[in-house]
Amino acid sequence: MSTVQVEVQGLTKNFFDQSRGEINAVQEVDFECRGAEIFGLLGANGAGKTTTLRMISTVLQPTAGTARVLGHDVVSDPVEVRRNLGFYSASTALYPRLTARETLTLFARVNKYPAERTKSRVEEMIERFGLGDYAGARIEKLSSGMKQKVSIARTVVHDPPVLIFDEPTVGLDVLNALDLQKAIQELRDDGKAILFSTHIMSEAERLCDRIAIIDKGRIRACDGLGGLRAATSQHYLEDIFVHYVTGNDTTA
Amino acid sequence: MDWTTIRLLYLSELRSALRERSVLINGILIPLLLYPLMMWVMFSGILFVTARFESFASRVEIAGLPDEHRGLLERLEEDEGRIEITEIEAPPTPTAAYREEVESRLLAGELDAALIFETSVDPPGNAAVSLLSNGSSDQSQAARGRLERALSAERSVWLDRIAEQHGLEGDEWQVFEVESDNLATGRQMGQFVMGMMIPLFFVLMIANGCVYPAIDSTAGERERNTWETTSTLATRRIHVVAAKYFYVATMGLVAGALNAAAMVVSFRSFLGPLLARIGGGDGSGFAFELPLTSLPVLLLTAVLLGALIAAAMMILAAFARTFKEGQSMVTPVILLVILPVLLLNDPSMSFTPALAGIPVVNVVLLLRQAIAGNLLWLQLGITVLANAAAIAACLWLASRILRVEEIATGSFEGNLFQFLRQRGRPVGGKA
Repeated sequence: MSTVQVEVQGLTKNFFDQSRGEINAVQEVDFECRGAEIFGLLGANGAGKTTTLRMISTVLQPTAGTARVLGHDVVSDPVEVRRNLGFYSASTALYPRLTARETLTLFARVNKYPAERTKSRVEEMIERFGLGDYAGARIEKLSSGMKQKVSIARTVVHDPPVLIFDEPTVGLDVLNALDLQKAIQELRDDGKAILFSTHIMSEAERLCDRIAIIDKGRIRACDGLGGLRAATSQHYLEDIFVHYVTGNDTTA
Repeated sequence: MDWTTIRLLYLSELRSALRERSVLINGILIPLLLYPLMMWVMFSGILFVTARFESFASRVEIAGLPDEHRGLLERLEEDEGRIEITEIEAPPTPTAAYREEVESRLLAGELDAALIFETSVDPPGNAAVSLLSNGSSDQSQAARGRLERALSAERSVWLDRIAEQHGLEGDEWQVFEVESDNLATGRQMGQFVMGMMIPLFFVLMIANGCVYPAIDSTAGERERNTWETTSTLATRRIHVVAAKYFYVATMGLVAGALNAAAMVVSFRSFLGPLLARIGGGDGSGFAFELPLTSLPVLLLTAVLLGALIAAAMMILAAFARTFKEGQSMVTPVILLVILPVLLLNDPSMSFTPALAGIPVVNVVLLLRQAIAGNLLWLQLGITVLANAAAIAACLWLASRILRVEEIATGSFEGNLFQFLRQRGRPVGGKA
């Protein structure tokens, strides 16, 4: 059994909105993610998936609770957390005026990948993600499929043990989405601990080793697909999800 | 501070910016080319107007010219440009009707200027002269100028001749002679003109050089969705902000330095000859040379202004979520820094230690002093300290602002003033 890479305990985030007052976006979320595991956060839009992952990646600060990445606390040691983390989401775009190679070099260097090995690591990423013909082109000139590959490459270029993919297939066509899923599986096989959020049931079914169903900021269930099936007597993840979110048995 | 990371991020910002057409145009091309181009346009305009005047013949009518002043005709023909002289001998004593007729022809544009002599008997050649012209016509004014110059020279020669006939030397009868003498050297005059113009354009160009980078590195990042990408880099936020700040300040400094260099070259190559044309002299009176001591001060002022304006703009731009918002938030800074320059355009204003304590104002005055070659060390020291304090205050405020999660993530809806008003209320972000 791999060691625990990400530990989340009682994680809570409240926002204040001028018109709506206090909003409890995430409430006392607990889970952990191990190496060589894809841990899925499955929830509808606005359920609290992105806020949870943003707190783990130190973009947002928790209101309460703790989150640790390889033992580093997200509040007291955010730089070490980010060094051990690769964060990919639809809202983490690339710098349009840099080339793919410059982007990878920058992320490797700033994320403290050893300077003497940066060049070979960047070339390795270019090779692995098939960026060879476009490595010298500016990001703004690339197709969305190529941009997505560069994005994954920049997420993993510093070889972090933990990776976060926040709804990574949003806006991608089927082939690009499948490519991305394949890349994530390969990264899991490399031993990475992967936090993966999605609202697409088939994606979660195909990729995730364990799934946490999140609704209204709270985790309603957390287990492997087999465990969730057994607990709910439902076969399809869609039905399992509805069971936990609405309390209704769709097969009844 | 992790200077290696700051350097990496700074170089990345700079490389990215230099690939953006707007940055190149605003930060490099405009400061470098605008003023040589502007002066070239002015120079060409003056040449065009002058050539146009010279291509026209001044149509002049001279009535009742005494024999003693025939030399006036030679003087007029020797003057630059063509002239068509119509000489009217009669009536020897012009009538009111003749004068009215000349005036109507001047107003109708049939004539450019007229000289009417009303001679006295003694001494021969003595006359009351009327010079008629139409002030609403450029051509008439040019003809008037030519007649005035020739008439003045003719009058001096005639007065000398009459005085000599009476046995008088020049200083015996020229008892209330007014003589004006400009004691300033050509270099000093050039420095005076540069001291009036350079600070205005210099400040404007530095501010202009900072505007796009300040917005691009803050609101631009949010608009492109790269802010969150930057937030996940394994470095402290302050290092990211420092790199962005150095980048904005560098662009301001580069714009200022390029503008100053272009300005000096333009002054030497265009403004000297231009002023010669306007003044009608040989142009050798103005020498546009910066004293060597002013060059380090020029660089120092560019650094101080670039650093200060960059800090001020970044504070405001930190609140912007889109490029448009950024533009509306940052533009007032340009007006704020230009205002003191315009108010200080009084050359008699002296650079006192008290004024040296006011940021921007002190830099403008220091710049003017340096161009004039009068470096005041006390004021220079106070200027550096005052601006350093202002920059530190701006950076402190910027770091406080960017610690607020709502602003860092771009979900704060408002500007600096709304933020300051809301301080003390609970803040957060959006889900």
